[in-house]
Amino acid sequence: MTQPVSTSPEFTFACPLVNGLHARPASHLSGLADDFASDCSFTNLRNGAVANAKSVLSIIAADVRAGDECRVRLSGADADAACATLRRFVEEDLPLCDEPLPEVATGGDESVVLPRALRSAGVSCYPGVAVSRGIGRGKVVLVSSVALPRELSGETATDPLREQERIARAVAQVRARIEAMLVRQTSATEAAILKAHLAMLTDVSLADKLSELIAQGRTSAQAVVEACEFFVAVLRQTESAYIRERAADVQDICLQLLEEIYGRELQSPAIELREPSVVVAETLAPRQLLSLDRRQLRALVLERASATSHVVILARSLGIPTLVEVGQAALSLSQGQEIIVDADRGLIIPQLTTAVGRFYERELRTLRRRQDTLSRYATAPAMTADGQSLEVAANVSSAGELTTAFERGADGVGLFRTEMLFVGRDSAPTEEEQFEVYAEAARAGAGRAVVIRMFDVGGDKPLPYLHLPREANPFLGYRGARLYAEHLELFRTQLRAILRASAFGRVWLMIPMISSIEEVGWVKAQIAEVRGELKTEGISFDPLMRFGIMCEVPSVAFILEELCAEVDFFSVGTNDLCQYFFAADRDNAKVSVLSDVRRPGFLRFLRQIVCEVRARGKWVGMCGEMAGDARNLPLLLGMGLDEISVASSEIPTLKERISRLSAGDCEQLLARAVACRGVGEVEALLEHEQSSARERPLLDRELVIIESESESKEEAIRELVDALYIAGRTRERERLEDGVWAREAVYSTGLGHGFAIPHCKSNAVADDSICVLKLKEPVEWGALDAEPVSVVILLAMRESDATANRHMQVFARLARKLMDEDFRERLLSAEDAASVLTHLASELEIAL
Amino acid sequence: MRIVAVTACPTGIAHTYMAAEQLEKTARALGHEIKVETQGAMGIENELSADDIRRAEVAIFAVDIEVEKLERFDGVKVIRVPVQDAIKNPKGIFAKIQG
Repeated sequence: MTQPVSTSPEFTFACPLVNGLHARPASHLSGLADDFASDCSFTNLRNGAVANAKSVLSIIAADVRAGDECRVRLSGADADAACATLRRFVEEDLPLCDEPLPEVATGGDESVVLPRALRSAGVSCYPGVAVSRGIGRGKVVLVSSVALPRELSGETATDPLREQERIARAVAQVRARIEAMLVRQTSATEAAILKAHLAMLTDVSLADKLSELIAQGRTSAQAVVEACEFFVAVLRQTESAYIRERAADVQDICLQLLEEIYGRELQSPAIELREPSVVVAETLAPRQLLSLDRRQLRALVLERASATSHVVILARSLGIPTLVEVGQAALSLSQGQEIIVDADRGLIIPQLTTAVGRFYERELRTLRRRQDTLSRYATAPAMTADGQSLEVAANVSSAGELTTAFERGADGVGLFRTEMLFVGRDSAPTEEEQFEVYAEAARAGAGRAVVIRMFDVGGDKPLPYLHLPREANPFLGYRGARLYAEHLELFRTQLRAILRASAFGRVWLMIPMISSIEEVGWVKAQIAEVRGELKTEGISFDPLMRFGIMCEVPSVAFILEELCAEVDFFSVGTNDLCQYFFAADRDNAKVSVLSDVRRPGFLRFLRQIVCEVRARGKWVGMCGEMAGDARNLPLLLGMGLDEISVASSEIPTLKERISRLSAGDCEQLLARAVACRGVGEVEALLEHEQSSARERPLLDRELVIIESESESKEEAIRELVDALYIAGRTRERERLEDGVWAREAVYSTGLGHGFAIPHCKSNAVADDSICVLKLKEPVEWGALDAEPVSVVILLAMRESDATANRHMQVFARLARKLMDEDFRERLLSAEDAASVLTHLASELEIAL
Repeated sequence: MRIVAVTACPTGIAHTYMAAEQLEKTARALGHEIKVETQGAMGIENELSADDIRRAEVAIFAVDIEVEKLERFDGVKVIRVPVQDAIKNPKGIFAKIQG
């Protein structure tokens, strides 16, 4: 009121974002507002919340949901200009700011069915939402969330100016510390979190609140505590879980400020884990999680965190089994109580009965063995049964991911997305900054190819410093290679950084969104110029660095002859290629059914591309989602791709699968698939893909277990099912186990004389199998002669199979042989797995 | 004695064949002539012909499911037992026939 109301323009708008005005768009808005001297007030007309548009915290606290009417009012000398700028942002850029929140894989290949052992043990378990998979067992350590000291040593404020100074110093020190950590940080995940903290620390609302409190006579420490409480309360009231999560970050920041003010650690006593532990907390600050001893930390249970909170993102990247949304469970857990957190199935098991303890002990061993089996495949190059190789590379978005990818068996990096370096910041990364990242990737490659794709941004992924125009149809618009000429500086900076990095490893350069030969010519001319520059400057680079393009626009398929003369390689981006091919948006549920990569027309198109590129002697890989789905493998092998590039977690499974396929059969399968009438027929063909997999022997060494320590029928059956899982013969253990038990319910399979043959017909098993278990101590089975059982033979058979009759004959032969005393005697007396195996193989006339 | 038999169990993977083996072995040991048809996962095997059935004095059904082509046995004396009995105590079945 005291201000002269020279001019105070305003405008209103309805929030166009599905997720509401969350942190990212809010930071864009506040960034723009900050450039002006005028006051920018922001009102959410739905709830009356008034915010300072220069403050991210205060904007997100206004809890703007999709569709909310908001008013922005400006007052000050440059109010008109500010109004025009903000209005333009809100109308043109804001609608493009939404992006799906990170997705969490909770399901996995095993749907959540309580294993029989747990069901029959009658244990109570608490359900939770698994946000980071794995199983952990340990003693409960209850941790109160970032606790700000309640008692602040009763000191009184001396001089507001001095208090203000102490705060300013603390802010500067915390800022310096975070910035120092950022420089050292290699993990993109941790870096993003640190950047978010930095933004909050320097938020204008926080500063205003602190000043206000000090002006009211608080000490610097009291001001920090109260400001923290204020913002936490405001954030927690918001509708969006994503925004509520930021409360933990504010607490973390404020605690760091307090520590600076007091000059000591306040988070004391530090959480010390002396034995295997499960940390149970409302939520944790990322810093708290990082301070925990990871050798002792077995699992996390967080009541208030969500899948998008920083602590969860961090837990996932560190591989710590984590459950959230556990309801009342956390309340009933007590300090020191031993529990199991099963984040594969989303369970907390609070009572460790002997049966439960044994089940999980075995489960952990089984999972380890499965990993061992997979890692055998992971470390070797992928080769089909008939000797065709297929490189399996990793898709990554940061250099930090390469180590894990190579551990998982990546033969290279088929797609290094560089967008991560460009988004979420106010200005483009420098050449030096980029060079560091690419060179690190090149070195980590250690001789393996690392395909670096130049920045692929556009209307759907706006960068504030590019000022891209709003487009009616961003997917058909200004994106990828199409904006390199206008943003030449950005393009050449990245090109230089990549070329320089090529001196440190095998770097391949890839250009996205190419649709014509002219674009390729232009890029090549640029490369030649940059090479010339580097040469003049005496900077080294790999003169033979390979140059390739994404094949994601259908027009490319019709100029392959010309393109092959210009480029070294192609990588098929199936996501875009498919939606451009069918003119159907894969994210639009109403039409996405049309853009299915398994449609015969698309398969024909792909086959034609791969054939032609290979016929012209060039290399062709695939980096889209189609490559990561194991069901598509026979089709991809049939095409004769040189490489597939997938999320690194999928690599071991895919390599195992490849080793069991025959390229020859796959080629025929693809020929049948492209001749199908529709996608349904292709799906059905793949469902019976078993026929094109190399047939595995009914019995082999890993399916014979001697000296089993199973103590009951339940355990024995589970052990057999687990053996099939470890060998990669089933992915659905609960379904297979239930199938076996359904048979037991009809009548006992204990046929007397110490033998039992549980069996089932189920497609939960991938290959017909005979699995043998010799028990150390006989177990009760309810056998026909009421005697305990010491040899258990599981027969598992697929429901429909080309080989069914041949295998059935073996099963029938085995059933008859078991009526023969000599046969049984030899099995009983066999002392090692090898003699069990040879005895069975010769008697049943099966090849191993 | 001339005997025919049919064995069948719900999944037709194991018990059908174990029962058949037991009936054949026991019959031989007791000096009977027997032909056993299995109705299992591979369908009907060692199928009993009209002639086999006509010449038999008795038919044993060691089954836990419906016998297929039941009409073949019209007018024949049939002893029906659970498939488990044939595995556990085949001698008992033959004793019943003779008794």
